[in-house]
Amino acid sequence: MHQKEIKTDMPFLSIKDLKVEYKSDGQIVHAVNDVSLQLERGKTLGLVGETGAGKTTIAKSILRILPDIGSHIANGEIYLEGENLLKLSENDMRKIRGNKVSMIFQDPMTALNPVLRVGDQIAEVVSLHSDNNNRAEHEKRAKEMLEIVGIPAERYYAYPHQFSGGMKQRVVIAIALACNPDLLLADEPTTALDVTIQAQVLDLIAELRNKYNTAMLLITHDMGVVAQVCDTVAVIYAGSIIEYGTKQQIFKHPSHPYTIGLFGAIPDMNEDEEWLHPIDGLPPDPTNLPQGCSFSPRCKFATDACRKEAIGMYKTQDGHDCRCCCIEAVMKGED
Amino acid sequence: MNPVIEVTNLKKYFTTPRGMLHAVDDVTFTIERGRTLGVVGESGCGKSTLGRTIIHLHESTEGQILLNGKDVTNLKGKDLRQAREKMQIIFQDPYSSLDPRKTIDSTIREPLIVSRHFTKSQIDQKTQELMDLVGIDERLRKAYPHELDGGRRQRVGIARALALEPEFIVCDEPVSALDVSIQAQVLNLLKKLQKEKGLTYMFVTHDMSVVRHISDDICVMYLGQVVEKCSSKELFQNPLHPYTRALLSAIPSTDIDKPNKREILRGEITSPVNPKPGCRFAARCPYANEECLKLQKQEEVSPGHFVRCCRLQEISSSYN
Ligand SMILES: Nc1ncnc2c1ncn2[C@@H]1O[C@H](COP(=O)(O)OP(=O)(O)OP(=O)(O)O)[C@@H](O)[C@H]1O
Ligand SMILES: Nc1ncnc2c1ncn2[C@@H]1O[C@H](COP(=O)(O)OP(=O)(O)O)[C@@H](O)[C@H]1O
Ligand code: SF4
Ligand code: SF4
Ligand SMILES: [Mg+2]
Ligand SMILES: [Mg+2]
Repeated sequence: MHQKEIKTDMPFLSIKDLKVEYKSDGQIVHAVNDVSLQLERGKTLGLVGETGAGKTTIAKSILRILPDIGSHIANGEIYLEGENLLKLSENDMRKIRGNKVSMIFQDPMTALNPVLRVGDQIAEVVSLHSDNNNRAEHEKRAKEMLEIVGIPAERYYAYPHQFSGGMKQRVVIAIALACNPDLLLADEPTTALDVTIQAQVLDLIAELRNKYNTAMLLITHDMGVVAQVCDTVAVIYAGSIIEYGTKQQIFKHPSHPYTIGLFGAIPDMNEDEEWLHPIDGLPPDPTNLPQGCSFSPRCKFATDACRKEAIGMYKTQDGHDCRCCCIEAVMKGED
Repeated sequence: MNPVIEVTNLKKYFTTPRGMLHAVDDVTFTIERGRTLGVVGESGCGKSTLGRTIIHLHESTEGQILLNGKDVTNLKGKDLRQAREKMQIIFQDPYSSLDPRKTIDSTIREPLIVSRHFTKSQIDQKTQELMDLVGIDERLRKAYPHELDGGRRQRVGIARALALEPEFIVCDEPVSALDVSIQAQVLNLLKKLQKEKGLTYMFVTHDMSVVRHISDDICVMYLGQVVEKCSSKELFQNPLHPYTRALLSAIPSTDIDKPNKREILRGEITSPVNPKPGCRFAARCPYANEECLKLQKQEEVSPGHFVRCCRLQEISSSYN
């Protein structure tokens, strides 16, 4: 029998020094590098960052559903209610998935079965979490869930390929919510949705949070969604958290040059600009991360010191964490 | 006036066990050369189907499609192939839209080979030019799609769409999967290409700040129909259809001190299968009454501003 390791006095979810690698073509992809974060019950942590930054990998590590071949959790601990998930047997882990923890997948087709009717797929999950075997009741509940995510109940009988991208996404959301999880890992749940349905889905999630005290890890690149929904925010770049604080701290005093650049790149709703202001350059090759600060090739504040050794976390003036050794220069805007 | 695309009463229905699904129902619009028509609307309202039908990835059920003034609705064989070269699509999902077994180089090369217009050395040269144009590094030529991040994959999709020098491109949520800094790069790239090559775009997106930025004109769709169409500026300054107003009010504000004051849509959702003749938004519209159960016509309420709502006169006085 294996040993269960339970620690009390810990946040509901606590990730410590997580490091995840993939092997691709004999090269090592450094997808997640020493990520630590905490999340309390009833709270929402926003995880923002570029595609490829490692967000999905973090969520999949929590559920331990990384691909068997070619992926590797090289280091770290993931505590859920004080219990290290990385030490659990596969059997115990199976009880946690879709029960205590459920995930809304970014790509709906990984979660949907192409040959089953969408309604039946929701009813199936409902029945797993129900104390009776009343199929008619489960179907009724599945139809309600469809309506809740804005799909007419009569489309229960459709197959996934007959739905648009956003509609498939809504089915996946309905499935994840049907489980009433304690921890919801939502990977870009509303990216494929229009803003009215998005607002409806976010309301639904908020309702769930109030009712069941659900904790949520929300992966998104929509800063508007973060502003409306999250309590805390972690900005992730090339597999590392580069800025971490409350929503107020991050939105009022963004301090890392990457975060500042992100805010600057959003098209302005009140202004007509011919050209947008992207951050120049592209994210680094994860098989070959630059030495020192991984943002340094794109950073207009970079100095020689930035390119030498790994950059630690510094406290900003308002007390949040920022992985930049030149915060003062950045704040003064000196490049 | 130099329209590249003219769509008249276009319909695309799908047969389902429960009846006819009206994915695109009587859509009419024109896009001038070098301009961008933004298309927004609820997910599932028919935006992708519309784009795919125009460029003949779906057969249309009814209606007419003109490309440069020439009827291309029912083309077949060689004529269709030629017309199709002029109309391309960039997909939302840079993950599933590229063939995982093909290198970047052969992905971009493929349409050039298939077209049979070019010699081997021309193809080499064009492939190189396309990669330079969209900013893909030389070292990624032999890479496979899964080795690239979303931003680079989307560039490959753009390069491939540009290979045969199209005039019209359907951009189906091309930046949805990208974060804002890479999104800004790709949008600037699309705009630059448009200026240089006189490209005409139909641009589908859910991001209202993106559609405002990129579009000259905007169509708002609801369950297969265009409910409002006007210039981008006009739409954001003077939205008239009740659905458009609900849509604009739901844009999540990036200002944390200003929570959204959105109009909540209540009521059941109308099914696109065998829809009744009346206004399709009626079940959720706060202003609906019996009049709304009759067929709704699109009216030009001011020059260039079209709305499909019979009660507009009455209700717009209550807008603030
Ligand atoms: N199965 C795999 N094999 C090899 N590399 C992988 C695999 N899955 C992910 N990666 C790589 O790991 C890094 C992080 O990937 P991940 O999917 O977690 O990023 P992400 O932030 O979720 O991006 P996106 O928003 O595009 O989904 C990327 O460089 C990616 O290419
Ligand atoms: N192959 C198909 N068979 C049946 N119905 C389809 C098919 N493709 C799309 N639909 C239906 O057409 C409508 C519009 O879909 P789509 O154009 O993909 O929406 P959007 O792009 O706006 O999200 C939806 O109701 C969808 O279920
Ligand atoms: S550590 Fe240096 S290179 Fe990195 S973000 Fe700060 S200033 Fe830029
Ligand atoms: S026609 Fe009637 S139901 Fe439709 S949008 Fe206008 S007021 Fe609302
Ligand atoms: Mg992801
Ligand atoms: Mg679509």
